[in-house]
Amino acid sequence: MNHTTPTDDDLRVIAEQVWSSYLDLDGASPLIAKPADAPSHEVCASVSVTGAWRGHVVVRCSAAASRNAAAALLGVELDDVTPDDVTDALGELANIIGGNVKSLLPEPCALSLPHVLVHGESGYPQVMEVCGLEATWLDEPVTVSVLESTVVERVG
Amino acid sequence: MSAVKILIADDSRVMRQIVTRTLRQAGYEGHDLVEAADGRQAYDTAVSERPDLVLSDWNMPEMTGVEVLRALRAAGVAVPFGFVTSESSDEMRQAAEAAGALFLITKPFTAESFRDALDPILG
Repeated sequence: MNHTTPTDDDLRVIAEQVWSSYLDLDGASPLIAKPADAPSHEVCASVSVTGAWRGHVVVRCSAAASRNAAAALLGVELDDVTPDDVTDALGELANIIGGNVKSLLPEPCALSLPHVLVHGESGYPQVMEVCGLEATWLDEPVTVSVLESTVVERVG
Repeated sequence: MSAVKILIADDSRVMRQIVTRTLRQAGYEGHDLVEAADGRQAYDTAVSERPDLVLSDWNMPEMTGVEVLRALRAAGVAVPFGFVTSESSDEMRQAAEAAGALFLITKPFTAESFRDALDPILG
């Protein structure tokens, strides 16, 4: 197994495998490895890596791309995609890509739970709030939440 | 191929959906699919529903996939059992094999990789 830092080519191969396996089943809408005319970071899904290597694997895309990904991954019509679907689907996408990136990193490493941002709003797939605080400071809102995952992360 | 019952155990609903769809694409249509969202459910469902095949994630709440497999074997349940995981270290493969798993499919998987693993069992 290769224990060096992944390269651009490694990442392209991983992403293309994920797309051809899950998001472009008929080969009609492949992931094309060149920048879009108008890059968008409306949706951002990430997993963190800790251990012998530390960092983040981040998937960013437009809201439209995230809805298409959710529809494809969940096998539902585009019009039926809910915000929860987008959070779950993009979180799983980051998790799968992160798992494959992790296989190229030095051992031992562990993946974090996925974190998804949609239009700047945090989304955490499949969590329940254990406790929370809604407060005011300088007349501005401040909230603190502790969220417990209902999912055990795939760490190995 | 006569209809068989397949248990899909994964804590991610997205991944359960992908596994279901990939089974269909691989040609395993018309089978009775049952799902479990954690390891305990997977064990209980495998015992109560008596599936012909279990496709299990590795890390799940309550019990890991390999714990489910070991518990099933300890209880005398000999159902064919394979893993579908996002990673596959040598240690995982060895532990899976030692516990009696028939295969370990890594994500991202294709219909072909499902056929390669499942045809010897379901074909």
